[in-house]
Amino acid sequence: MIEVTNLGKTYRRGDGTPVAALKAVSFQIDKGEFVTIRGPSGSGKSSMLNIVGCLDRPTSGTYRLNGEELSGYSDKQLSHVRARKIGFVFQSFHLMPRTTALENVEIPMVYGPGRVDRKRALAGLERVGLGGRAHHYGTELSGGEQQRVAIARALINDPPLILADEPTGNLDSAAGAEVMAILRQLHREGRTVVLVTHDDAVAAYAEREILFRDGVLASDRKIAVLLGE
Amino acid sequence: MMAGVMIGICSLTILDSVGESTKRETMKRFKNMLGTFDTVIIRPGSGKTRGMVSLTNVPPTLKFEDAAAIAAELPEVKQVALLQNAFDIDVKYKDKNVSPAIFGVSANWLDLRGDELAEGNIISEEDIGSLARVAILGSDVLPLLFPEGDALGKTIRIGDVPFQVKGVLAQRGAGPGGGSLDNLILIPVTTASKRLFNRDFLTMVIAQLRDPEKSEAAVSKITALLRQRHHIAVSALDDFTMTSPQAVMAQVREMGSALSTILKGIATIAMLIGGAVIMSLMLISVSERRKEIGLRRSVGANRQDILLQFILEAALVSSIGGLVGIALGLGGTNLVARLEHLPPVLSLQALESAAGLSVGLGLLFGIYPAWKAAHVDPVKALGT
Ligand SMILES: Nc1ncnc2c1ncn2[C@@H]1O[C@H](COP(=O)(O)OP(=O)(O)O)[C@@H](O)[C@H]1O
Ligand SMILES: [Mg+2]
Repeated sequence: MIEVTNLGKTYRRGDGTPVAALKAVSFQIDKGEFVTIRGPSGSGKSSMLNIVGCLDRPTSGTYRLNGEELSGYSDKQLSHVRARKIGFVFQSFHLMPRTTALENVEIPMVYGPGRVDRKRALAGLERVGLGGRAHHYGTELSGGEQQRVAIARALINDPPLILADEPTGNLDSAAGAEVMAILRQLHREGRTVVLVTHDDAVAAYAEREILFRDGVLASDRKIAVLLGE
Repeated sequence: MMAGVMIGICSLTILDSVGESTKRETMKRFKNMLGTFDTVIIRPGSGKTRGMVSLTNVPPTLKFEDAAAIAAELPEVKQVALLQNAFDIDVKYKDKNVSPAIFGVSANWLDLRGDELAEGNIISEEDIGSLARVAILGSDVLPLLFPEGDALGKTIRIGDVPFQVKGVLAQRGAGPGGGSLDNLILIPVTTASKRLFNRDFLTMVIAQLRDPEKSEAAVSKITALLRQRHHIAVSALDDFTMTSPQAVMAQVREMGSALSTILKGIATIAMLIGGAVIMSLMLISVSERRKEIGLRRSVGANRQDILLQFILEAALVSSIGGLVGIALGLGGTNLVARLEHLPPVLSLQALESAAGLSVGLGLLFGIYPAWKAAHVDPVKALGT
């Protein structure tokens, strides 16, 4: 499903000096895998995830998603892919201010394949156990609840690929475990889940671990699923 | 950010409506004073005389014969109407006593002035020929002398001379200065000249032209004729003054359009300021909402979606501001109208342009901020 070849990403600082965040990285992720990306801070994990999520473009190398080479894609085409194929979950939730949980979940429908459908948004919230919180504002919800709203939002257009960048980084362990349970459920449904994390306990949910160091892929190994049923 | 648009639109609406209202009212008042538009007004004196002209404050140079000559010798002139007037003459009926303006006029006066009778008859050529002692009361005079309104046929005394009331004028309303034009009594000009004032000169001659388009030519013909009759040396100034209502109206119109140009300029500046305010506030809003933009982009919005969203928001906010501005503007217009005693004119054109402008402003000044919003880097905005 994901095919990254010799992929490089170089940022330019304000003063023009280049920062090589990713250097000739290659890997593949098959449909339905649950992969964690790990590595020290600044090793290029988020850069990688943003490129995989079509939110950013590589400066070299190729990225194929479902066999399609995306480097020639326009902003419109990439956005189209994001709207249908990708669900992002961020560390800091990014719920919109002065907006209810339900309205947050409805946002991707504006850009997705279907129409804005309140009932479907409500069903999405119920799925993450927040049917009763639909009309609460983000500020009225706990961190764990906010992240579950964000997951419902990421899922509303039914994307096959879930990209989560340290989704439990701002949560206590109980709330983190709830979020991980949902991600594992998504994996069981057949979705591909790519998870960036620092946390060993969180990483233990995955079947495979890709390790980055200084923008280079340091290791890529299958791991035993420690947290079974 | 609505305030800028609001103020701009508000002032535009007020200025436009009040401007329109003032223009119409001024036109009406001038028309009231000057009568029909195919006429030229001739007065004795070099034009320095201020205020209401009467027999006591004009040079005795414009004679009956001059008026007759203008009518007889100039083919451009269809007819002339004569006026000999005075103030401060007591008019009595029984114990009632007033002192309106006394207008000695020719039979065609009412016709040329475009005035109408409320009741009775106009002064006839026979009245003129026989020096009849008949009078027509102005609508302000009627209730003062005849509270019951039963004036027709009654005998009043104008400066001790008895006159029979023959008619009553319809109300004319205010002149350009705002004063009433109805405080007067009309009598035959011959009667006035021979029986009341004992003067052989006039205070005004109104010459009706055959072709109002050629008023300039007529004015110069009349000038030539009068200068010849008055034996005025080539180097000397006229001893009379001519006013053509057309010229006056043209001047009024010109003033009106100059005024509205200035007002439009002010409104435009207000709108530009409003637009600049929209733009800077939109830019602030864009930088405050970078996270929202990043999030929308991450769930599938493309640049065009974001661009459109922000442009529409600017137009919406601007038109809400515009609506409030229009509402305030209408309120302001009515207030100004009441203070200035003008009829409130709701200028539809002003409303349309105000509504259009506010949407347009939002669109125009929203484009750059919206473009900025569309080019926010979602990765940086989300700070992942
Ligand atoms: N927009 C950017 N401009 C310049 N440098 C950046 C930018 N984003 C990331 N970097 C740099 O690229 C490197 C990798 O960053 P990142 O992918 O965020 O790492 P991680 O997510 O593993 O912490 C870091 O050195 C970081 O400072
Ligand atoms: Mg990161």
